[in-house]
Amino acid sequence: MITWSKDRAEAAQRILGSYPERRSAVMPLLYVAMAEYGYVSEQAMRDVAELTGLTPVQVSSVASFYTMYKREEVGRYLVSVCTSVSCHLLGGDDVLHAVEAETGVPHGETGPDGTFSVEHVECIGACGGAPAVQVNYELIEGVTPEKAVELCQWLNATEPDPLLGDEMQALFGGQRSFDWGPSESTGSKGPVPAFGPYSTAGTDRLAGP
Amino acid sequence: MSERVTITVDGIPLEVDAGELLIKAAEDNGTYIPRFCWHPRMKPVGMCRMCLVEVEGPRGILLTTSCNMPVSDGMVVHTESETVKKAQEGILEFLLINHPLDCPVCDRGGECPLQDQTLSHGPGESRFVEEKRHFEKPIPISDLVLLDRERCILCARCTRFSDEVSGDPLIEFQSRGNNTQVLTFPDEPFASYFSGNTVQICPVGALTSKPYRFRARPWDLEKTESTCPHCSVGCSIEVHTSQNEVIRYQGVDNDDVNWGWLCDKGRYSFESVNSAERLDTPLIRNASGQLEPASWPDAMEAAATGLASIVEAHGGNSVAGIGGARGSNESAYAFGKFMRTIIGTNHLDAQLGDGLDPHFLVGSTPRGVINDLDTAKTIVLWGPDLKEELPVLYLRVRHAAQQGAKLIVIHPRRTGLDDRATFKVVYKPGEGPALLNKLVEGDPGLAEVRAAINEGPVVGLVGRTGLTEDPRLAEAVAAFLRELPKATLMPLARRSNVYGALDMGVSPRLLPGRVSSASESGKAALREHWGSLPDDFGRDTIGIIDGLADGHLKGLVMMGSDPVRDVPSGNRAAEALSRAEFVVAIDTFLNDSAAAADVVFPALGFTEQEGTVTNLEGRVQKVTQAAPGPGQARPDWSILEDLAHRMGGSIGATSVNVLFKEIVTVAPAYRGLTWVDLEFGEGRDGLVMPLEEGDQPIQYVAVDPGLAPTKAPLALHSARTLYDDGVHTRFGPSLERLVGAPMAYLHPDDAARLGIPDGGEVDVETVQGSARVQVGFDPSLAPGTVFVPFNQGIGQNLGSAVEVKLEVVS
Amino acid sequence: MKILTSRMDAHPSDSHTISRYLATGGYRSLKKALSMEPADIIAEVKASNLRGRGGAGFPCGVKWGFLADVHPRYLVVNGDESEPGTFKDRQLLERDPHQLLEGVIISSHALGVNHAFIYIRGEYPKPARRVQQALADAYASGYVGRNILGSGFDLDITVHLGAGAYICGEETALLNSLEGRRGEPRLKPPFPAVEGLYGKPTIVNNVETLSNMPWIVENGGAAYAAIGPEGSSGTRLFSLSGHVRRPGNHEIVMGMTFGELIEDLGGGIRDGRAIKAFIPGGASAPWFTADHLDVPVTIDDVAKAGSMLGSGAIVVMDETTDVVKAALSVVSFFAHESCGQCTPCREGTTWLENMLRRLTVGQGRAVDLDLLLDVSDNISPGLAWPPRQTTICPLGPSAVSPVLSILTHFRDEVEALVTTGVSS
Repeated sequence: MITWSKDRAEAAQRILGSYPERRSAVMPLLYVAMAEYGYVSEQAMRDVAELTGLTPVQVSSVASFYTMYKREEVGRYLVSVCTSVSCHLLGGDDVLHAVEAETGVPHGETGPDGTFSVEHVECIGACGGAPAVQVNYELIEGVTPEKAVELCQWLNATEPDPLLGDEMQALFGGQRSFDWGPSESTGSKGPVPAFGPYSTAGTDRLAGP
Repeated sequence: MSERVTITVDGIPLEVDAGELLIKAAEDNGTYIPRFCWHPRMKPVGMCRMCLVEVEGPRGILLTTSCNMPVSDGMVVHTESETVKKAQEGILEFLLINHPLDCPVCDRGGECPLQDQTLSHGPGESRFVEEKRHFEKPIPISDLVLLDRERCILCARCTRFSDEVSGDPLIEFQSRGNNTQVLTFPDEPFASYFSGNTVQICPVGALTSKPYRFRARPWDLEKTESTCPHCSVGCSIEVHTSQNEVIRYQGVDNDDVNWGWLCDKGRYSFESVNSAERLDTPLIRNASGQLEPASWPDAMEAAATGLASIVEAHGGNSVAGIGGARGSNESAYAFGKFMRTIIGTNHLDAQLGDGLDPHFLVGSTPRGVINDLDTAKTIVLWGPDLKEELPVLYLRVRHAAQQGAKLIVIHPRRTGLDDRATFKVVYKPGEGPALLNKLVEGDPGLAEVRAAINEGPVVGLVGRTGLTEDPRLAEAVAAFLRELPKATLMPLARRSNVYGALDMGVSPRLLPGRVSSASESGKAALREHWGSLPDDFGRDTIGIIDGLADGHLKGLVMMGSDPVRDVPSGNRAAEALSRAEFVVAIDTFLNDSAAAADVVFPALGFTEQEGTVTNLEGRVQKVTQAAPGPGQARPDWSILEDLAHRMGGSIGATSVNVLFKEIVTVAPAYRGLTWVDLEFGEGRDGLVMPLEEGDQPIQYVAVDPGLAPTKAPLALHSARTLYDDGVHTRFGPSLERLVGAPMAYLHPDDAARLGIPDGGEVDVETVQGSARVQVGFDPSLAPGTVFVPFNQGIGQNLGSAVEVKLEVVS
Repeated sequence: MKILTSRMDAHPSDSHTISRYLATGGYRSLKKALSMEPADIIAEVKASNLRGRGGAGFPCGVKWGFLADVHPRYLVVNGDESEPGTFKDRQLLERDPHQLLEGVIISSHALGVNHAFIYIRGEYPKPARRVQQALADAYASGYVGRNILGSGFDLDITVHLGAGAYICGEETALLNSLEGRRGEPRLKPPFPAVEGLYGKPTIVNNVETLSNMPWIVENGGAAYAAIGPEGSSGTRLFSLSGHVRRPGNHEIVMGMTFGELIEDLGGGIRDGRAIKAFIPGGASAPWFTADHLDVPVTIDDVAKAGSMLGSGAIVVMDETTDVVKAALSVVSFFAHESCGQCTPCREGTTWLENMLRRLTVGQGRAVDLDLLLDVSDNISPGLAWPPRQTTICPLGPSAVSPVLSILTHFRDEVEALVTTGVSS
């Protein structure tokens, strides 16, 4: 019995309808379920299994293959620091340590108050703006350890919702991979990537510092 | 016959079938390429990489896995080059770096492909100094199977089997990369009817089965090939014994039957062979009405005297015989001969009121074999849920459907094959005839189905969907299906060696060798051999029960049968037994029916005697002796021979061989069969009767009897589940736990209409009996249907009436 | 000469919108393509000599030619850009999504496809939002959907998001992922063009590859082939990162040397330092050193010099770089991203990672150098280039590249690390 919000239940049906085979909807539905439950809980996987006609273990087999499906509860802000080679060369590890020190949360973990989860991630395609950080999958490029600390403090103090990448870049970013063009007012509503059609994005706050 | 091509393996030219996988072509010609993940009955996945070889190609020498490489003409292959050896040693080293060194305490030690290949192809010492991967040591993933993830080499044989072969994907890879592991979902155990196969095909000791764990070391085991007795599919097995005790069964790859697979009921039923409850001494009912142990001479005397006095007083046809389907053909033949010539009765039946017309079962034309499924374009299953009743046939149908055959399933409830069915039609019990008419007449609602089944070759799998279904419906269905293009029929009955027993004439309507008991020439021919043969009308099991209950019959001989548990109206059978003047039982357990007998003889069971059995195709295979049997138990044919002696005659049952020779002489359909032809070995997969030398007098052409539908406001569907309350499950501790609770299932809409809550209690009532059970919801049921699993504590009292009433208790 | 980035360069504030796209000639090629026979479009693509921009560099027209004559068939856009050092597709998705969509629609028409999928990595929510908006606008304007521009051609496009798995950039892993399965590469053959998505013939093309289609249709394959040196025709978007003054994406005509690219476009090495090494084509590629700065930036020249142009990502390391740590970063990446289905990659990449990590923390042993090479050899026999592999897909051998690179070019440094326990 699926008890998702109306928006998400509708998104689920839309998603199921956009593939020739139901099983293809597993990954998008896991995002929707993650938005619903805050993470990919056992119930989330059972729900997706029901919607796609798979067994729960087939769903968890898929979910556990992909690093973005968090199967444990995640903090309000998921801070992902890239440590792949380009970021590594330009101090990504120092940024990670700064974030860990400021939040008190070691990578791979969630703080006790549920504000922050910290992780180091492999390449997020921001090598020209290394070192790069994502908060709830919204990108900030050219981050120094000092700016990373300020970023965490700002998140803690202002609790932005939704979280806007352009705003964070303006406040805490530096070198960018390329000109980002105009700012966006769409951002993330939680530790789930903000994909419009999956009803996981938020747009109710205008951008701008 | 496929095209032959020439390939060169390590310098040796080989002629092989075009398109065959290189690993198999090489193995069949003497070159074994090591492997872990490849299994001949599953799709190649090339994951373990152990089967790397070098193949010369237009762009140089290619290092490739041989498990997914089809051979082509002129292919030049190197399996022992330096590069190949180095690569294989490398793979083994990779597999071993995280593998624990617990071979001495591992069940698999001694029969472990990883251990064997390490000895033959592996590095001498480990260069790995880092910490090995650690997981919690064996965790139970079901009631039968344990998983040790540290030993696992991630070959995916188990996960692929569950997904691809058995269709219950309950174990899967989790996580990825170096953290990959096999696991179940929390609270969703690996409750598959086929889980034991994954243990058997695991190339290491990662999966172990509870019933076998720590029981024996492989090098201490004696191995004997045989045929599984659990159902009529007749899977080839190997019986493993240690110190005269049966330790396990393993599946053997019979190309025509089971492809190496077994169901868990068959596999783990070995526990009942070793049960302490086995009958090991004769029993006689004493003056105070209790059964007490007796000597063989005393018991023989009591039985012979009891039977003889009834025959004397009321004639031979006042005695009946029920049984024969649980033993060998030789035992069944002896039983039939004993009943007909020594007692002088035609009241004998190996079926227990749950099957089809015996002529239809053994004499149908055109009759198909299991392998027809693989060449069929269309498979129509209107019969039992194969997953529950004929599990390995279910696997074969599933495979055929996955390979592209259209599958049409018609049944009152969900079945294991629904997910592979091109069309599934659900109907209310009793309304089958109307549905069939619609199908035959091309009703618009069934037009698509009708169109789909028109493409041949068609294989029709027909049987009773449940015990409340008129058995003649299956014939009506068969009459329709046999007219389809290139159609073959497989009439289905599930009970063990029932086809063999019917072929041996254990039926009022049959004589040995697929001869009608109404055939004058058949009777005359048999009289030549047997000397005498009664001419009277014979009753089937239901008739026998009625006869005993109403006093027309006085005596009963049961051989390997338990009418109280097995007929649709068990209470009626119990009543019949209590009214009988004298009852003899020959059995392995003191079952509910034997407990009502006056004399009970302990019989040897499966694994304890030699013989032949016949499966649902009419295929004869051997069963073999692997263990001595309990106490004073004896072969049932030998008990019958002794009894015959005491009654002043003989059935000539001096040995299995003598019986076998008599069968192949007396039974037309078995003519020409030799014991040697049935020896086990490569390519010996049993023989389907009749051989060219034989002939089958009954050429049964199914006709539609023109049944009228039975309209019932609420209809009962009563069918077997795999783990019912039979002797193999009841006396096997591992299987006993798996038997479901007595339940009645309702469509949620019906439940709502009747005001019955999920989990509520109801009295289920038919004209034949009643039972109080808990209710569960099953939305797969046709509306207006109540499903009661048969023989789970209660089902056997409801009989075969379609109409049912529910009385809400709570 | 710019093809891919000219619009975003000229109109940085709105290059991603449909209005700007239409105002700058957008969807004109689609109209032209719809009036052409599919075979003629394929002929133009073949004539263009366009080679795939995802990494393998396979000629696009040839790949299209393999498509089996079975319907339905699918086109899948590979936007799972995840190769460390690579961020070019992100820019194309984010800044000019209609250019890609037009390429997808043209290609679908050419290939007889009625359902195309755009697979974008999950870490790219902003590019995904832009593509989704562009797609919604394209549907609304009749460029996608039923009876496109009255031509009778129907096309649906579904955007599918990845969820954190580099291996899904491998085309068969991507197809598995799109089918709702674990992103494990499939055995080949069969190739996707014969048996791909849902077992049906499928073409998988990179974002950048398809973004060239509007230009090729408008200007003709021959015009495209005329750009740049033979075998590396057209322009290409290179991602420059690491220790350069001006990192970023640069669209260039191939043929200049790496030295020129790093110096002229990248502004040279930061802080005026010397170059120590560079990766010429993404993390999978064997490293080059200062000795290779005069190698021309073409697919064939880089291959001849023992590496690959791959995804067009150039990662520059200056003289201060601890190459063992840098190699560890790359090997860790591949170990983390190994799907785990085949033995040598699952076990071998982590073993290499563990050994390198031991070296970097001063616990290396003299035998580890040969052991690193031998374990590498068991993943990639002969340690040759192009690599042979005991694995299913090239990910395993990719982890060998950095190991081999440091032991070839900087063996002294690695040995010193073993001897002293600290980086020199």
